[in-house]
Parts: sequence; structure tokens; C-alpha cells
Amino acid sequence: MSALRQKMAAYQANGARLGWLLIPHDQAVEVWPASGASQRLEQIDVLKATPEFAGLQLQLAEIWAA
Amino acid sequence: MTLTTSPATTHTAAPVSLDALPPLRLPPGLRLTPEQFELVCAENRDAVLELAADGRVIAITPTGSETSGRNSDLLFQLQTFAKSSGGWKVFESSGGFRLPDGSIVSPDASLVRLERWQALSPEQRRSLGA
Repeated sequence: MSALRQKMAAYQANGARLGWLLIPHDQAVEVWPASGASQRLEQIDVLKATPEFAGLQLQLAEIWAA
Repeated sequence: MTLTTSPATTHTAAPVSLDALPPLRLPPGLRLTPEQFELVCAENRDAVLELAADGRVIAITPTGSETSGRNSDLLFQLQTFAKSSGGWKVFESSGGFRLPDGSIVSPDASLVRLERWQALSPEQRRSLGA
């Protein structure tokens, strides 16, 4: 996990507008914004992106079940 | 945007692939330029490799079937979004992105604004895009 977080931090430092780290084992998501700290979300079925990605959402329940 | 899925921490039944590649052995002190890295990738089409900002080559372990199945559902959802809203291009994990710090990475899935993709030259699109 620490290697994956390092990767997410590198994407952020290199200008990624938004990063999502999906953690199927915990059915959790870490949301990495364009800058600043990441936020962990748990127990949500639908993950909505920031307004910059209007209309983008992920059906997490579907992904966890896949 | 980039998406990364962590592999499952436990595998009760690890899938066995008969054509699995033996793990790539890399000398610990090896450092490559992005250009050298591209040549290595061109000679090893089946290897999944990334280049760290300091020039280290990182061999990515192939994912298990579980992770692969989830990734394909993830890509399907992103593709559905990209097609309905327009203006986006979806990339899966075999695409390498050259980042400003010199690293070359392959997120499990990425969305790139169409105008940024279109701004690349055909040569840049064929190789590892910016």
C-alpha cells in the first residue's frame, strides 16, 4: 500500500487533476485531489468525481462485485 | 485523472498462467534515461515496466484474475462516461505516460482530456505520450 500511495503522490505532484486509489480489500477509496491531502471514503456505493469531471461517477458496488 | 486498484492481499486460489513470463531480473544499480527505457520496452512488449523519476526500472507484477476482472469493469464504466459526455479519452494499464519529473508510469486506468491528446504529435501518440 505504501508503494501505491507513493505512486498516487507522484501523480498528484506531476499535475494529475484527480486520482482515485481503489482498495477492494476494504471496499474503500482514497481520493487524491489536484493538491493537498488525500481523503479516505468507505461504505459508499457511488463515487462522484469533482465538478471538473462533470457527470463522472463510479458504481463502486459493481466494481467490488466484479 | 488516474486510477489505481490495489491487488487483493490474499489469494485463496492463485491463477496459474502457463505462458506467464519469468520475473525480470534487473541489476540494482541500473538507471535508464526515458529514451533507453523506451528501447527496452520495445524489445519486451509483454513485460509491464515503469520508469521511476531517478531512472530505476520497476517491473510490475502481473495482477491476478480478481484484480483484472475489477479493472475491466472500471474501464467499462469510464468508457461509458467518456462516450456519453465526449471530450475524454480512456487509457488502460498498458499505456505509459511520461510525467514531467521524468518518470514513465502506467495507472490501471486514466482519463485524458481529448484536446490534450489531440495536441500530441502522431509520433508522441505512438510512443509514450506526455
